[in-house]
Amino acid sequence: MTKMQKTVRASPSWFTRFWAVVRYEMLWNIRKKKFIAALIIAFVLATVDLAVPAFLNVGQNPYFAATFSGGSFTFFLFGIVTAMNSISGEYESGTIVPLLAKPVSRTMVFFGKLFATFIVILVSYIVIFSYSTIGGLLVYGPQNSLYLVPLALVGDIISTFIWVAVVLAAGCISKSSLLALLTALGLFISLFLGVSVVAAFSGNAGVVGGLNYLPGAGASGTMNVTAGQSATIANVTVNTLTSVSSGTDSIGANMVKAVLFPNASVLFTHTNVLSNPIGPPTLLYTESISLIILRAIGVAFLYIAVFLLIAWYAFKRSQILE
Amino acid sequence: MDYAIETTDLTKCFGSLTAVNKLNLKVEKNTIHGFLGPNGAGKTTTIKILVGLLKPTEGSVKVLGQEVQVDDADSRLGIGYMSELPKFPKHLKGAELLDIYGRMYGMSQQQRAEQIPKLIDMVGLKGRENDLIGKYSKGMQQRIGIAQALLNSPELVILDEPSIGLDPVGMVDVRELVKTISKEGMTVFLSSHLLFEVEQICDHVTIINKGSVLASDTLQNVSGMISESPMIHVELVNLSDAVIAAVKSLTFVSGTWKTGNTLLIQVSTRDDVRAQVSKVVTGAGGVIVGMSQKASNLEDVFLQLITKDQGGKTQ
Repeated sequence: MTKMQKTVRASPSWFTRFWAVVRYEMLWNIRKKKFIAALIIAFVLATVDLAVPAFLNVGQNPYFAATFSGGSFTFFLFGIVTAMNSISGEYESGTIVPLLAKPVSRTMVFFGKLFATFIVILVSYIVIFSYSTIGGLLVYGPQNSLYLVPLALVGDIISTFIWVAVVLAAGCISKSSLLALLTALGLFISLFLGVSVVAAFSGNAGVVGGLNYLPGAGASGTMNVTAGQSATIANVTVNTLTSVSSGTDSIGANMVKAVLFPNASVLFTHTNVLSNPIGPPTLLYTESISLIILRAIGVAFLYIAVFLLIAWYAFKRSQILE
Repeated sequence: MDYAIETTDLTKCFGSLTAVNKLNLKVEKNTIHGFLGPNGAGKTTTIKILVGLLKPTEGSVKVLGQEVQVDDADSRLGIGYMSELPKFPKHLKGAELLDIYGRMYGMSQQQRAEQIPKLIDMVGLKGRENDLIGKYSKGMQQRIGIAQALLNSPELVILDEPSIGLDPVGMVDVRELVKTISKEGMTVFLSSHLLFEVEQICDHVTIINKGSVLASDTLQNVSGMISESPMIHVELVNLSDAVIAAVKSLTFVSGTWKTGNTLLIQVSTRDDVRAQVSKVVTGAGGVIVGMSQKASNLEDVFLQLITKDQGGKTQ
């Protein structure tokens, strides 16, 4: 039997221990089968996004890469697969016991895992955005305003982190990955249906505007650009650029629009689909693109902060009975 | 005295259930302390409080002279802990797990590079350290559990049922390992259902039931809590009267019986006196074929205490 060497007990720094938790979590995340599946799905969606306009013979689009952004489903998917069993899975498998018996505090474990989730999502999005940018160059020719790509990426990460926070909170409270998934999925579907129903049937500006304070797509409007700005990029992707969703899922896309059209306003209208014939659109309200961005970022950070606080508190207070 | 573990009126309730009830436990440093009790006695709950995983309802806990608080990371720097049937992340390789845990203890790269291969070798996982833990057998998980408990060369090692899931060879290995680490100056606090294991390796024992201490002392004193004296069986080629007379002359011998060529000797001490018996037997011309001492009666003490505590009914 080999004789053990007495280790000199150093007082480890906070960062050393925090980074150990980050490594622990990152290795878990990148080896998850569901994460690899999510990455494949994201690539398929990006490929469809890239290929469909080409098949429809849209022609040259020098703004494809600059205006590329993930959608609600992508944000939900990445939020779920990276955070779904981040903490609840530790309880379920019993691995929480040896982990918390190490000289790491629960706050350190919580934020270490959160930071690892951030890194994994960031790297995944960098890969996906790089793929769409290269794809844009190959399919649609030279691309303009490529400096906007990182802006859309940052916005998409903020949108994704709402779901990370929601699923972490549900997981920390229930200590069950399945319940965390079902809670987040229920919320996602409810928001999707709720927003669709309100957008289709409500002609009340307050109700439609209220959608902007929920996570998700928010209200839908049309961007009204100035003549000069319109001329700059008109005849290119006017349809996708002028359609605006004002919720937290469109932070990345709207930040790009705000840079391209800093003075643009967005018109929110309602079309009465129940009348016969279908009524003409009536204007509900108008907002500047910058206000939409600031509000969406504020709402997103508020949800992220509230849900993360709930998750952290539940984790901090939990009894390790496993 | 400086204790490795000291609890004062430690109480832990889960709703109406009192899992640990005013437990006063003292574990001396540099000892191997066995922690015994039937299922549900409160052993694992006590251990979880010791390592800061559970918050006590009442009472205080000091480990290595430091008051234990839930979520006090630094209080665990000097403790190595292996839970009962430990579970580790299946996606990590054995060596990766030890490396990450080593980082959590603040071990330098050099320390980890030296310590991890030694521990892997020590617990018998050499050649399997780069396999995913998900592919490990229950016994191998137990072995990596022991390795991670010793990773930081702790002053105090807490092992909750370390032999569960191990094959007989593994169980012997664990016993040898515990003896070795104790010789290196570590205090070992070991919870076990295996009384013979505790008898073989522990020098101190605490028996608990319903969350309270029934007995806590040296193994010798706890074993002596019931009156039955140990017996030594000596088998000889020829058992002569001279041999019997020589044995009777020993001060600790309280009685002898002859059965064929076997001499049964009742002794009034719990020390191992077989060497002295052997000396006088051979001195009197006896040729010893075999000698054994009746196993220590910790099991009897344990059953007696538990039965008494439960009003005459054993579990």
